[in-house]
Amino acid sequence: MRKKTVISFAEQVSTTVLNSYSMLFFSNRRFFALLVLLVSFLNPYTGLAGFAATATAALAAYFMGFGRDQVRSGLYTYSGLLAGLGMGTFYEFGTGFWILLLLASLLSVLLSAAFIASLGRSKLPALSLAFILTLWVVILASGEFTAIGLSQRNIYWLNEMYATGGTDLIRLAQWFDTLPLPAAVSGFFRSVSAILFQSNIAAGMLLTIGLLFFSRIALALMISGYVIAILFIQLMGGYAGSVNYYNLGTNFMLVSVALGGFYIVPSFRSIAWSLITVPVSYILVIALWKITYTWGLPVFSLPFCITVILFLYVLQLRQAGGKMVLTPVQYYSPEENLYRYLNNRDRALHSFYFHQLSLPFMGEWMVSQGYEGGLTHQGEWSRALDFVIADHENKTYRFPGTRLSDYYCYDKPVLSPADGTVEEIIDYVEDNPVGGNNTRQNWGNTIVIKHAEGIYSKLSHLKKGSFKVARAAYVKKGDILAACGNSGRSPEPHLHFQVQATPYIDSRTMAYPLAYYVQREKSKPLLKTLAVPTEGQTVSNVIPGSQLQQAFGFQPGYCMRVKADGYEEEEWEVRVSAYNEMYFYGHRHRDYAYFINDGTVFCFTAYFGNQKSLLHLFYLAAYKVLLSTDKHIAVTDYFSRQAFRRHPLNWLQDLLSPFFFFMRMRYEGHVYQDDDGMGTGSILLSSRAIAKTLGKERQTMLAETRISQGKLQAFRVWWNNKKIEVVCVN
Amino acid sequence: MNKQVYESPSIQKMNGGLMNKFGTRSSYEPVKQIDGVAVNFLMEQFGSPLFVLSERTIRRSYQSAVRAFKTRYPKVQFAWSYKTNYLNAVCRIFHQEGSWAEVVSGFEYRKAVGNGVPGHKIIFNGPGKTDEELRVAANNGSLIHIDHFDELYQLIALSDTLDKKPKVAIRVNMDTGVYPLWDRFGFNYENGQAAEALGKITASGKLELAGLHCHIGTYMLSPDAYVKAVEKLGDLAWKCKTELNSPVRYIDLGGGFPSTNTLRGSFLPGPDTVPPVDEFAEAITSRLLKLGFGAEELPLLLLESGRVLVDDAGFLLSTVLAGKRLPDGRRAIILDAGVNLLFTSFWYDHPVSPAQDFTHHTEDMALFGPLCMNIDVLRQGINLPLLNRGDRVVVHKVGAYNMTQWMQFIQMRPNVVLIDEEGGTHLIRQAEDLAYLEQLEKTPEHLKEINL
Repeated sequence: MRKKTVISFAEQVSTTVLNSYSMLFFSNRRFFALLVLLVSFLNPYTGLAGFAATATAALAAYFMGFGRDQVRSGLYTYSGLLAGLGMGTFYEFGTGFWILLLLASLLSVLLSAAFIASLGRSKLPALSLAFILTLWVVILASGEFTAIGLSQRNIYWLNEMYATGGTDLIRLAQWFDTLPLPAAVSGFFRSVSAILFQSNIAAGMLLTIGLLFFSRIALALMISGYVIAILFIQLMGGYAGSVNYYNLGTNFMLVSVALGGFYIVPSFRSIAWSLITVPVSYILVIALWKITYTWGLPVFSLPFCITVILFLYVLQLRQAGGKMVLTPVQYYSPEENLYRYLNNRDRALHSFYFHQLSLPFMGEWMVSQGYEGGLTHQGEWSRALDFVIADHENKTYRFPGTRLSDYYCYDKPVLSPADGTVEEIIDYVEDNPVGGNNTRQNWGNTIVIKHAEGIYSKLSHLKKGSFKVARAAYVKKGDILAACGNSGRSPEPHLHFQVQATPYIDSRTMAYPLAYYVQREKSKPLLKTLAVPTEGQTVSNVIPGSQLQQAFGFQPGYCMRVKADGYEEEEWEVRVSAYNEMYFYGHRHRDYAYFINDGTVFCFTAYFGNQKSLLHLFYLAAYKVLLSTDKHIAVTDYFSRQAFRRHPLNWLQDLLSPFFFFMRMRYEGHVYQDDDGMGTGSILLSSRAIAKTLGKERQTMLAETRISQGKLQAFRVWWNNKKIEVVCVN
Repeated sequence: MNKQVYESPSIQKMNGGLMNKFGTRSSYEPVKQIDGVAVNFLMEQFGSPLFVLSERTIRRSYQSAVRAFKTRYPKVQFAWSYKTNYLNAVCRIFHQEGSWAEVVSGFEYRKAVGNGVPGHKIIFNGPGKTDEELRVAANNGSLIHIDHFDELYQLIALSDTLDKKPKVAIRVNMDTGVYPLWDRFGFNYENGQAAEALGKITASGKLELAGLHCHIGTYMLSPDAYVKAVEKLGDLAWKCKTELNSPVRYIDLGGGFPSTNTLRGSFLPGPDTVPPVDEFAEAITSRLLKLGFGAEELPLLLLESGRVLVDDAGFLLSTVLAGKRLPDGRRAIILDAGVNLLFTSFWYDHPVSPAQDFTHHTEDMALFGPLCMNIDVLRQGINLPLLNRGDRVVVHKVGAYNMTQWMQFIQMRPNVVLIDEEGGTHLIRQAEDLAYLEQLEKTPEHLKEINL
């Protein structure tokens, strides 16, 4: 028990330290952290001071009891790292130095926490403000301490290198420094290394290679930030003294990354903006330097912080969401941020923001007038739908159509589109004869149902005396409310359906999508998600299959053991996060597969972990499952870009991804064999993945999932030229 | 100017009473094409007599019946009654539309399997099922509808030898206010036999009680009878849920919806007296919704309609072989199709239309078939334009039961043609020939030599 605690403590602290290193480049990748750590030691004293400060900060953050996950991410400690690197660069080592370093790193943690908390309230990042303030304090105060002296090591850094690495290291470093590189290129490498307070081509090269592996978008943004800065300086003929490698690295290149692809989802627009912000940052550097140099202080990365915070703050003030999207969930990689954002958008996974409305009738009905319909859906009442039943010849009545009962929709049950409370009922308007019209009592017999605050649905022109519910009654989705009639402004029987924000009979309409419906097409019915049918379309509700609902209704605590030849047995447990997100947790590989089940569709939203586990296979096979056994409805979806892990053109696509995609992975699924609709018989689901690269399609995965007795029994996947049969033991 | 058509002279009796102010003109229209395909073309191509089926009409009838039910009740499933017309092409149209299969014999069962219907979508009805048939059906997961106690015991006895627990329902007969009562099939509701059978099924532990079935009659003209049936089956369903703790998942109301054919001896023609499917649907579903089951436990409504879905889609094309005058003065027409092909003419007055132009003169006449048998009468009396040898007629509404109950008697069965939705014609059953008829016959050795 004790040993376990010690291990988890050590793991926590070491992760915090490593993440502090990668965080300097907006990353949380382990390999990249190790590389940055290594590079920081190319200047051993600086590296040592940085490491000591980070470790101190990590311990302080741990014992001060901040949120464990936040501490692990390195957010509280990277300022300490920067401060340590800075002090190691400026000061001579000695007892006084170490005492000051200790205090500085503690101060940086406190400041970080304060900045994170105060800026976090406005959804802004703390960036390196804590580091700047800490180092300023140190610089201003250190003049008064005799135990501390400014270092001259940086001037004679070759001596240091000789002391630590011998002649070989010197030769290597010299060889790098004397490489016949164009000034612009060597300048770039030096600028990159300047982020770690170095001016070293070798360090810059190593970091650049690391960046290339970490994020192609980030590296491209750094290069473009560098180029823009250089061009701007030449164009303006500005005071070149303030333009050193440090400013190029931290203030211009990092601004470009932060706004071009990290805090904003990378896109053509974000990149354009980031390029505009580079000159802004440049002006700030000069302006601030004019102020700070009077106290003998460098500006450090203050221009970077001000520019980024200002832009992010202003972007949040936009009235409409705008086309530039602030990163909704930070995955610490521009690629990851972009791909997950796009995938969520394409898959309409934001659907839980909407109240789930279904069509208010049974069977197939046709939209006779849609939104903005020219007849009566006009002005403030334009977002409404009229429904009728039509036969194959698009006739709404059987011969001769002179009586109301000749109309197919007349007297048909009208259902509640969602759970709610009956707010208002009008049931005294006589039904018109065919061709009649009652404009005085425009809406006729009507029911208004309250589903949530600000979401009401209204059904009108109902048949007099057909109401099955009373005012204030609680109705469930699909309950029969009344029958379709011909009252009010209705020359022929039809059903008027609208969503509104207020509870009145004559409230204005509100555009609101239906969660799911099936649209009849010539070839195959089409499943529509979060859409509104348009005039002339014939639509019906998705009829859920009880057995599929049961099989995919995974509840927290549910455990499943799965076996396959050539694989270790896995146990999956269904868990739920603090934010009510459900996921499978694979105990053996510690992998996570997040999913959503809204009663109509089951779909996986994200997968983290081992790509060779059985859970990953299940994630691919059951990426999206319509919980209906209608064999004619196919579901399609797109896999996130991560599905292309090992493609040779991956990096090229990453680079181009803010602009366009030439690689996509499509998912298709349908019911191959259905049950008897009453829960017995086995169901076979078939699904496949199709990779489309440069217009060429290739099937990359084929899967079959078998369900019987209300449970997932087995699935079979053809993947990477292998056939894997997986048996599930519930 | 075209040459005038010759019509044999006829003498009509003067009727007393008021003159019809519209004259004596009949309401007949010649029927020269079916779904856009000329009758003459069909008969020249495929011979006479000829059965023609309209795929479009089949699909439309099915779709409108489905629409009538599915817009009123959330869980509805039709099962095509094989005995009504089990030509594979016809069955497959229904299966394509989503219909299951309802069979009443082992060979119909195999036919359904052959048509690609999965086992769990076949309903096995009928009073006589063999051990082997039951074994196959049970192992395929089909719904077995038990007709009597002996079958129940037979199935319980068999159950130990089966791979799967048989899924069963009982057929229930009851008084629905329509007479004569159909009490021959199934277990009676009123005398408690049905409840007893249900008790035995659940008590045996060897059968899975899946549903309840009834078939209250055929050509039912009153939706009220179905309401009674729903009430009584609903009562049994409640018993299953509350007393036997074995809720049923479906209620099968069988078939029996009438087509618009006119029954022999009825006063008014079928189209005026037969309620449309919508009326049955309204009566059945509104009663079903009032049974008191919650939204999740609502039973699936199964329907085994046959006649109403296919009768209108069938046509029999026939040629006039001869005309003669009977001793009582009536005109008689001999057609090349008789009751051997049109079994339903025993109880329907099928509408018949000429397939060519005619004058306004009409005459009462009898339509006989080609059989050398007294019973071969298609219509005892029908008012038709004057017909000559070689003229063609179209008999309407013959899609149900004729292509299953037809007889190979004196004459052989003709071609059956399907007109698809695009107007293409498909031969779906070839005319029989002598070789086909004799292929199963065996001649004993001593009868091989004939010395005449």
